[in-house]
Amino acid sequence: MHVYLDTRVSLFRSRLWPAAQVAGLIDAADAELPGLLEQGGLALLAGGYADDDPRSLEARIVAILLDETRILLRPLAGPARQFLVYWTERFEVSNVKSLIRAKMAGDSAAATAACLLDLGYFAHLDADALMRAEDVTELMRRLERTDYAEIVRNARQAFEESHDPFILDATLDRAYFDGLVRRARAIEATTGPGLARLMADLVDRTNLVWLLRYRFNYGLPPAQVYYLLLTPGYRLTPTLLRRLVGAEDIAGVLAGLPDELAAPLAGATAIPEIADRLERRALERAWAEFSRRGEALARALAYLILREAGLRDLRGILRGRRLGLARQDIRLAAGVA
Amino acid sequence: MFRASPMLRIELLCLASESQEMALLLARQGDFGPAGPAGGAGAERYRELYLEACARLDKIMEYCGQHDTAPIPDDAIAPNERELAGINHRLQAIWQACSGCHEQEVRMAEEKSRLEMLRETYARLAALDVDPARLLRRDGLLDSRLGQIPVANLKRLSEALSVAGYLLTEFDRAGDQAFVVVAGPRSDEGPAADRLGGLLAHAGWRDLPVPPELRTDPSVAAEYLAAEGRRLEGRVADHCELRERHWLQHAAWLRQARVLLALARPLAESALVGLSGKGQLVIFSGWVPKRALAGLRAALEVRFHGRYLLTSHEPGPADAGKVPSLLSYPAWLRPFTALTRGYGVPRYGEFDPALFVAACYVLLFGAMFGDVGHGAVLLVAGLALRGGLARLRWIVAAAGLASVGFGVLYGSVFGYEGLIEPVWQSPLHDPVRLLKLAVGFGVGFIAATLLINAYNRLRGHRWGAACLAGDGLAGLLFYLAAIVGLNGWLAGTGFGLGPGLLAAAAMLAMAVWTGLETAGTVGERLVVVLVESLESATKLFANTLSFLRVAAFSLNHVALALAVFTIAGGLGTLGHGVAVVLGNVVIVVLEGGIVAIQALRLMYYEGFSRFFAGDGVEFRPLRLVAPETRSGT
Repeated sequence: MHVYLDTRVSLFRSRLWPAAQVAGLIDAADAELPGLLEQGGLALLAGGYADDDPRSLEARIVAILLDETRILLRPLAGPARQFLVYWTERFEVSNVKSLIRAKMAGDSAAATAACLLDLGYFAHLDADALMRAEDVTELMRRLERTDYAEIVRNARQAFEESHDPFILDATLDRAYFDGLVRRARAIEATTGPGLARLMADLVDRTNLVWLLRYRFNYGLPPAQVYYLLLTPGYRLTPTLLRRLVGAEDIAGVLAGLPDELAAPLAGATAIPEIADRLERRALERAWAEFSRRGEALARALAYLILREAGLRDLRGILRGRRLGLARQDIRLAAGVA
Repeated sequence: MFRASPMLRIELLCLASESQEMALLLARQGDFGPAGPAGGAGAERYRELYLEACARLDKIMEYCGQHDTAPIPDDAIAPNERELAGINHRLQAIWQACSGCHEQEVRMAEEKSRLEMLRETYARLAALDVDPARLLRRDGLLDSRLGQIPVANLKRLSEALSVAGYLLTEFDRAGDQAFVVVAGPRSDEGPAADRLGGLLAHAGWRDLPVPPELRTDPSVAAEYLAAEGRRLEGRVADHCELRERHWLQHAAWLRQARVLLALARPLAESALVGLSGKGQLVIFSGWVPKRALAGLRAALEVRFHGRYLLTSHEPGPADAGKVPSLLSYPAWLRPFTALTRGYGVPRYGEFDPALFVAACYVLLFGAMFGDVGHGAVLLVAGLALRGGLARLRWIVAAAGLASVGFGVLYGSVFGYEGLIEPVWQSPLHDPVRLLKLAVGFGVGFIAATLLINAYNRLRGHRWGAACLAGDGLAGLLFYLAAIVGLNGWLAGTGFGLGPGLLAAAAMLAMAVWTGLETAGTVGERLVVVLVESLESATKLFANTLSFLRVAAFSLNHVALALAVFTIAGGLGTLGHGVAVVLGNVVIVVLEGGIVAIQALRLMYYEGFSRFFAGDGVEFRPLRLVAPETRSGT
């Protein structure tokens, strides 16, 4: 069935918009937008362009991604299927964070429900019951009785000690990504090196950006930053990360990076710029994996990464246009020349 | 029996101030199923209050372990929004008190298990060649602390601490908790909190209290633990009293609140679907069985004396797929509907397969498990089923009866083939004939399912799919032509031009339809047409061969009985009897179970998957029921 998955992924290539098509969306007249989106296979976005609710746009993007993931899952079974299903669970982790934030802010159940993404087939949580928890402690205890117990348990313990929402978010993110890495490691030997390369990009990029943010934006001490990073093991080894978290400034961190990571970051001085360059590089590499035939699962993951990035670019363009931003600014934000 | 009851779409206009009473009346009648858009009636807030109150009441009842039901008086009226808000507010206060108690209980349970762990840990700590009092001294050179963390965080914390120049050593482990010493140089670069930040909190760290005299006098630890234990027991006793007091204080009101919430439920449910309005008027929209309309009108007149407006009309094409299915069955068929409901609900107007499925299931079971004795055992066992299994009573009994019937045809009683003369033949007498019959049954079954599917689509005005799809008339034509052709080929007369042309034409129609129905690029469509046409064709024949299991299991049944007799034949008189009885028990339980699953599998996979989407909407009228409460803890 991997041949079928490979073919299915190849057929999805036409759904990845080339830069010229994205640029066309920036320059088109308002009346032409729905038509262009429909022509590009995004009828679901075209229908909602007139809406003023930005969350509804996000929900539609997630719906598209989940629909396509569901198609890609059909020929998969066993750990490979579990990996791809887990890949979608970050949307549910995002729902968990929304629930916690809403509970902290004392939002009503109706207001909370409006913030949650509809995950349909992929939903594991009884959001209705969770929304009706009285406070964060009750919510976390309830979450510990769900499939997310592993992810939430540590977060609750840490939160009870500190009552710091940042700790909650950081622990949830880290627990989710650690689960992803564990699942990937379990199948990397059988799927070929493509999946390992994609995971290396994801983990290294996440670790580097988190390291810079925690260390220099939030001013956390090196030991705490190291603890909050994902389990290292790809290009950024534990030893290297321990050295990097001790660096005094951003330049010190960049100077300590291996050449492969340092090269694309040459001259960068600000964290958003570094994050942006790393993301562009990760997308280029995902495109390379997508174009390489043979490793169906790696190609499927690469497609989903590229598709999500493409849809988020489109969301940025649609939002920018709705807010009346200058075409040039939208172009810059979308990375379109 | 073969289709859902006729329904009418109704719109019921009334005063907004009487909406909760109108909803209550509709629920008491039990014939109105709300449908359509909702909004503008101001009931959203009512629903939100209702849901919050129900959630709180459920949690309180679960916490208190109370789940008795209170009767709803016939003349009781539903609370209005203000009253509902008052109920919700009071429930919130009660639950907050309960929740605090619950949190206390959890913490006390954790504390109890922690004390148990500490008992062990202190014993080991006392045996260490280290003086904890000196180790933890604030004026020492070392910044040290004793604590416990989840084992899962041990490695990562150890690595992170090394970044700050600290060392972590595990000295004990209990369950998922590791007891550790963390030590690092006390430096002038600021307090440890600055160097470690929230690191220990992230790792789920808990300080380990060490009595200062532990090293010098080990009995101090025992005293400390005993004192902690007494303190905890005191807290538990106080807590139990508090919990009991809570319940006694609020029990009567909580029972009353449950009744009031039950009365509020109809309007709260309508707020989600079918209730719209503007200004002082609201409209309830939904479905009513045609036969119940007159009764509803009469009840409305008695309660509202003309302060309402009821209009009704037949469902139109725009309602396709939205009309709910109200399925009524004669009493004898009702127990068998579980076989269909396990898969889904037929759409309104579609063929209801309940009778077809019940008949086929019983027939297939009997054919695979034909034995007078075994069937009689199942019949008696089925009739004796009680409790939660009672809903299977008639299915098991009918399957047993069918087994008896096929047992008479096969001439088999508890595996003995000489006791009665077979009306037809023993399965082993001519297995090939049996296999042919099974395949023949499969062909008939699959043809019937394709025909039903085409009928359902025609009823739904989906002409193209009915005529051209692989699971419609084109598929049926292809299948029958191919069967006739293959039959001729096997008989030596060749496939035949007629069947060949018909099969090819049908296949072409199926391919064209698949191409038209597939969204995507030309390349994508071509792949899908190729793969799905091939799959449709092969699947039909694979499904047909699946029916070989009917013959295989009837042969298996005889073979198992032969095996039992062979084993019994090698034993003495007593052993023979025991072996025959035990062997028959194994056959009834094990093979009976397997055959039951196989028959169901044939129904679901070879039958339902072809013609029955099961995505109909079940008619769910508003009803007056007590709010659900979970069983007590």
